[in-house]
Amino acid sequence: MFDSVTFRALNSALDGLAERQRAVANNIANVNTPGYRAQRVQFEDALAASVGRGDGAVEASTALSLEPTRQDGSNVNLDTETLSNIDTVLRYQFATTAMNGQFTSIRTAMRTS
Amino acid sequence: MTFDAIGIAGSALTVNRRWLDAIADNIANVNTVRRTDEAAFQARYLEVQAGEGTSGVYVASDVYGSAEGRLAYDPTNPLADEDGMVRLPDIDLAEQMSALIIAQRAYAANAAVVDRAKTSYEAALQIGR
Repeated sequence: MFDSVTFRALNSALDGLAERQRAVANNIANVNTPGYRAQRVQFEDALAASVGRGDGAVEASTALSLEPTRQDGSNVNLDTETLSNIDTVLRYQFATTAMNGQFTSIRTAMRTS
Repeated sequence: MTFDAIGIAGSALTVNRRWLDAIADNIANVNTVRRTDEAAFQARYLEVQAGEGTSGVYVASDVYGSAEGRLAYDPTNPLADEDGMVRLPDIDLAEQMSALIIAQRAYAANAAVVDRAKTSYEAALQIGR
């Protein structure tokens, strides 16, 4: 079960979402720092491709946003980051629920065998 | 994991609180009178830098405003010189109030990040329960 594509994919999703949460927190922390470029974490496309191949394990990658900067030198868009933060938290909870479902299946299987 | 987010937002809360303190100090001293042979009260600004990778933000140094200030005619003031001039700080109240709003908004945004990171952490604690 710990070898299945589902488990590896959920694991990668949780890692990627945690990475994104860190990046968003860093962006919001630096919303007024001159010269700061917002960080963006990507893993969904790589994960979909990996699951299609039957693997499921991916590493999240971080890129810098190329949006134009404001006068104070930072290019962090507070509204985008706030929505991304809320979105990431909800997806993280969704992924943990799915992960719990995996463990519940194992427990059920252990009980009935 | 997600608890790093709490530390990162925490660093920003510290920076923004220090910024609020500096602004409050500037506004409190906007009318501080000094003698003309002394330096004026200097406004204080914070120079901030992003930490390495994803380690938040920190204050690099304090930067001080003009020490010259502006001269004003106030002969009844006990600190006035023989021409009746005193030295006042060169602080723009409107600029300080704008900075106050920005600092407050940044503080609130980072406090919200801490709250959401806590929600994620609590969800993670439920795995396997």
